[in-house]
Amino acid sequence: MAHTAEHEYTTTGLNHRKMLMWVFLGSDCLFFAALIATYMVYRGQSLVGPYPVDIINVPVTTISTFVLLMSSFAMVQALASTHANNKNAIVGWLMATAILGAIFIGFQIVEFNTFKNEGLTLGGNLFGATFFTLTGFHGAHVTLGIIWLVIMAIVGAKGRLGPDTALDVELLGLYWHFVDIVWIVIFTLLYLIGGFDAGPAALSGG
Amino acid sequence: MAHQTEHTTNHPTFMQYVLIAIVLFAITIVEFVLIWDRAGIVDHLGASKIPLLVGLSAVKFAIVIMYYMHLKFDNRLFGTVFIAGLALAFIVGIALLSLFVAFEGGQRDFAEANAIPYVEHGEEAGGESPDDPPVAAGPVAIAINAVGDAFAFSSTSLSVNSGDEVTVTFDNPSATNSHNFVVVQNGTKDAVAGDGAAAGPGGNWVPAGDSRVIANTVVVAPGGSEQVIFTAPAPGTYQFVCTFPGHNFAMFGDFIVH
Ligand SMILES: [Cu+2]
Repeated sequence: MAHTAEHEYTTTGLNHRKMLMWVFLGSDCLFFAALIATYMVYRGQSLVGPYPVDIINVPVTTISTFVLLMSSFAMVQALASTHANNKNAIVGWLMATAILGAIFIGFQIVEFNTFKNEGLTLGGNLFGATFFTLTGFHGAHVTLGIIWLVIMAIVGAKGRLGPDTALDVELLGLYWHFVDIVWIVIFTLLYLIGGFDAGPAALSGG
Repeated sequence: MAHQTEHTTNHPTFMQYVLIAIVLFAITIVEFVLIWDRAGIVDHLGASKIPLLVGLSAVKFAIVIMYYMHLKFDNRLFGTVFIAGLALAFIVGIALLSLFVAFEGGQRDFAEANAIPYVEHGEEAGGESPDDPPVAAGPVAIAINAVGDAFAFSSTSLSVNSGDEVTVTFDNPSATNSHNFVVVQNGTKDAVAGDGAAAGPGGNWVPAGDSRVIANTVVVAPGGSEQVIFTAPAPGTYQFVCTFPGHNFAMFGDFIVH
């Protein structure tokens, strides 16, 4: 099946599914740009706390960032194993990617709970509204990726993944790495740069 | 098929991927150290930390799409499609930011001028509004309560007259959360709550003998009710707050003395 797909005639001479994935990722950039820009527009505009400096925990989130970077490495290995037709390695690396993704989500659940207990809510102030919307949608992307990874691992365990179907794993990889680069941007803007924003007194003038 | 084998062989080797992962990790560590106060670098950087961090992240971003997503080895059209979306996203973001920043007076002034205190639906007024006509000094009873299990008081503004003998009755209908009701000097609610954390529940989460504290109830357990009686201080604006650790960011209001 994949064999015929490779020889399919297309207007671009390129695989349709792969082109679809890249077009989707390009459009998903716009989706996240809207949420990120909204966060930046309302940065430092909250009239009441909690403010980022009160609750953002940069060291802990640096660890979860490492976990997500590590998962991208595992994803790359899953694709390499698929090209090498090594069934155990395919399933192993796919599951490793899924588990690392799940750990990242675990960090996010703990973070959201902590923030909620400290008074940050979706409707409490502009920081809460923009923060939860942006990181929540990213978390949803990661969750979707985990489900996709587990499904592919099951398909792999049945011996249906190999060099002929490498495109299936490659498309999953493209999606997963995209989620990773979105996090690179979010981590920089919301944590490294925005994580130390204080309340109106400290930002007055801006 | 031949075409696919061709670009597959161009893919980085296992060791190269390990190297890429190490580079990505190293950049993240550098970013963290740059902003870590204990490393002491952030104090020297000042505003230059922002372009530095953005630059480092852009490098990570580029490495991931070039190598992990193999744009470097793949057909250029894939990259073009993605970069077009990315560029458009960037322009939309800049446009949105410029649009808001260009508004004269700034959004903060606009927001402050138009701020409406949040009122829970179907809630009866827990206190008098600051616009109420002043009444002669005398005994005043104020009823206020926590809103269900939320971290909110039923009122965001209370007002009395200086010299009033004020009796505040604070009901806590929450099924899970303990709260207290503390009147403090204006702008000190978070500082008092921070210092009060050391007092613990036994000390009612209020720093003992603190001049910033005008009056406070003891900690009110879920379902409980407590009173505090005090004489309204000199005219001015004060704050009331729940100093239970963390609640102070959400549970507070203005205590206005005419
Ligand atoms: Cu409370």
